[in-house]
Amino acid sequence: MERSQPDAADDNAMDSFLDKFQSQPYRGGFHKDQWEEEFDKIPLFMKKAPSEIDPKENPDLACLQSIIFDEDRSPEEQAKTYKDEGNDYFKEKDYKKAVISYTEGLKKKCADPDLNAVLYTNRAAAQYHLGNFRSALNDVMAARKLKPCHLKAIVRGALCHLELKHFAEAVNWCDEGLQIDAKEKKLLEIRIKADKLKRTEQRDVRKAKLKEKKEQNQNEALLQAIKARNIRLISEAAGEDEDSASEGIGEIFLDGLSSENPYGARLSLDDQGRLSWPVLFLYPEYAQSDFISAFHEDSRFIDHLMVMFSEIPAWDSEQKYRPDNLEVYFEDEDGAELYQVPPKSTLLQVLQHPRYSVKALTPAFLVCVGSSSFCKNYLRGRQVHQIK
Amino acid sequence: MREGRASPGASSGNVCPEAEAAKLLPFLAPGARADLQAAAVQHVLALTGAESGRQLLAGQQALLQALSDLHEPLLAADPGLPARLLGRALDPQWPWAEEAAATLANLSREPAPCAALMAALAAVEPGQSGLERLVCALCTRGYNAHAPLHYLGPLLSNLSQRPAARAFLLDPDRCVVQRLLPLIQRSDSSVRRGGVVGTLRNCCFEHRHHEWLLGPEVDILPFLLLPLAGPEDFSEEEMNRLPVDLQYLPPEKQREPDADIRKMLIEAIMLLTATAPGRQQVRDQGTYLILRELHTWEPEPDVRLACEKLIQVLIGDEPEYGMENLLEVQVPEDVERQLQQLDREQQQQQLDREQQQLAQESRVEGTAPT
Repeated sequence: MERSQPDAADDNAMDSFLDKFQSQPYRGGFHKDQWEEEFDKIPLFMKKAPSEIDPKENPDLACLQSIIFDEDRSPEEQAKTYKDEGNDYFKEKDYKKAVISYTEGLKKKCADPDLNAVLYTNRAAAQYHLGNFRSALNDVMAARKLKPCHLKAIVRGALCHLELKHFAEAVNWCDEGLQIDAKEKKLLEIRIKADKLKRTEQRDVRKAKLKEKKEQNQNEALLQAIKARNIRLISEAAGEDEDSASEGIGEIFLDGLSSENPYGARLSLDDQGRLSWPVLFLYPEYAQSDFISAFHEDSRFIDHLMVMFSEIPAWDSEQKYRPDNLEVYFEDEDGAELYQVPPKSTLLQVLQHPRYSVKALTPAFLVCVGSSSFCKNYLRGRQVHQIK
Repeated sequence: MREGRASPGASSGNVCPEAEAAKLLPFLAPGARADLQAAAVQHVLALTGAESGRQLLAGQQALLQALSDLHEPLLAADPGLPARLLGRALDPQWPWAEEAAATLANLSREPAPCAALMAALAAVEPGQSGLERLVCALCTRGYNAHAPLHYLGPLLSNLSQRPAARAFLLDPDRCVVQRLLPLIQRSDSSVRRGGVVGTLRNCCFEHRHHEWLLGPEVDILPFLLLPLAGPEDFSEEEMNRLPVDLQYLPPEKQREPDADIRKMLIEAIMLLTATAPGRQQVRDQGTYLILRELHTWEPEPDVRLACEKLIQVLIGDEPEYGMENLLEVQVPEDVERQLQQLDREQQQQQLDREQQQLAQESRVEGTAPT
């Protein structure tokens, strides 16, 4: 703004100054069309400061900034300014910028431990709100190194431990803080929360342990039942591994447990100590299969076939699969020889056959119509044994 | 409350000073002449002035025992004694803090020294409550590297007979009683456990605080029930009724081994059932399940009786109008006497029955009853 300095005591000078406005145009004013933008550029009237200050765009602002952040000021003053800046960002919930400001303040390494403790604690708070709980914890511990009794740091630390699910630590920090101020409300609240969560967590651990123990016991019982019946188990990779015979039945059993069939069915033991197996029926003629999730070992094949084939299956294009004309076979371990199962046998009787072995804890059987040409072809050239 | 026995500390190794010190013993006997007693006490106290003297005293179990029995003349001779002993007990560096605590525990059994101690605690440090320091010393593991400070437990228990102590312990703006609760589980000292449970039981007389005690801010009930619970396998439905701390207890879970402490725990819970809302809360947290199992297991007849009485309260009908707060009901004197007589008879009958059983069993087995 162009202005000649008026002589305050001289009224005449004042008059002549004022007269100038009538003759000379005022050049420092806003432009009619852009006055709002220009208004916003004056630091005093700014509603929002630009995040980056470009000296060409905002020379006044850049000027002010250089005054505030003047390197000639003491580190304490500079640090304090950064702290205030950080606090402002914090109030606006701009936690990332707050962290940067506090970091700049700490970089000044000023000699005031209180100020540094506050900078650490405030940065911890900002980090906390950003979800960086471990960084926040580090900052809080740094703050406490400088000022062990800084309550705000202790509160923040307890909150961090709470978020990190270190419940016992949270309680300890609360107790330390309560030593300094026995009535600090936030600490009392956090302590109650953390203690309850800790005890709930302990319960969950106990529950999981007991569940594991129970499962182990159940599996032990199943294994014992299988052993007692002399049923042979083989692992999935039986063909490939020559040493599979040396693999203990225990390991094969556990492998079998972990390899789930697509239906999620499992071997089970009932209250009378009888086993029920998940069983696969394969129909090689049509490449179909049926899955029985719980075949009680004392039930007979014919009983299941009666139910399964009470209606004609969709894939039975010749409509010939009936309970009374079906033949059941199993293959031995090498897949070379077939054994025919009388339908009136129980599952247990077949499983106990010396040539039968259960793969992946799921007994499988082949079913076809005895009188069909497919069956005759299928059996041709293969050793077929009858079992009693 | 438990008797404090001072354990023998480091002995000086010399026979002579100990023999000399032991000569003071007759003068400290309760029947001795009062002035001689006082003089003897002064001599003993004078010994505490020097390091070697303190060591000597620490080794003199009889002397310390005599001292603790002589509280009245002691206090007369040295009214500052409680405060000094307190200072010693709460000093993290003092090697004989346990002995000091034990002495204080004994001293505090009588009302006069107890009052003196409360006054001493109030005056310990301006701004910081002496009771706070006491609780801190009791709750912090390793507070004193040389002394476990178990006897602070019975000391606190005795102090909690005074309303001012209870007011501090039950201050809702602080966290005091909450810090005592985990101590119930400390397996290393029945003295400590007994003291803490005694303190809590005394606090349970404050029925105005019951709601707060049973609520989430303190949650006292699970802590009282945990030592009474065993490794029971409850059904899923029963398990869900129990507080979190009592669920899925491992097969190794042991009950509180000391019968007196078990009885105090039951008494504390009984106190919490004095008001109708308190009763309801105690019921709702599955207390009956724990007591049911406890009753099956409990070997001690008087604890079993206490257990039965509590179960009665839990499963019995609600009392009539006007009797909602059982602690405030005025029982007429003659009724009171009758009830006490009935109690005694019942206990006697119970004991007789049990003795008969034992006698029968031993006849069958051929071993002598113990």
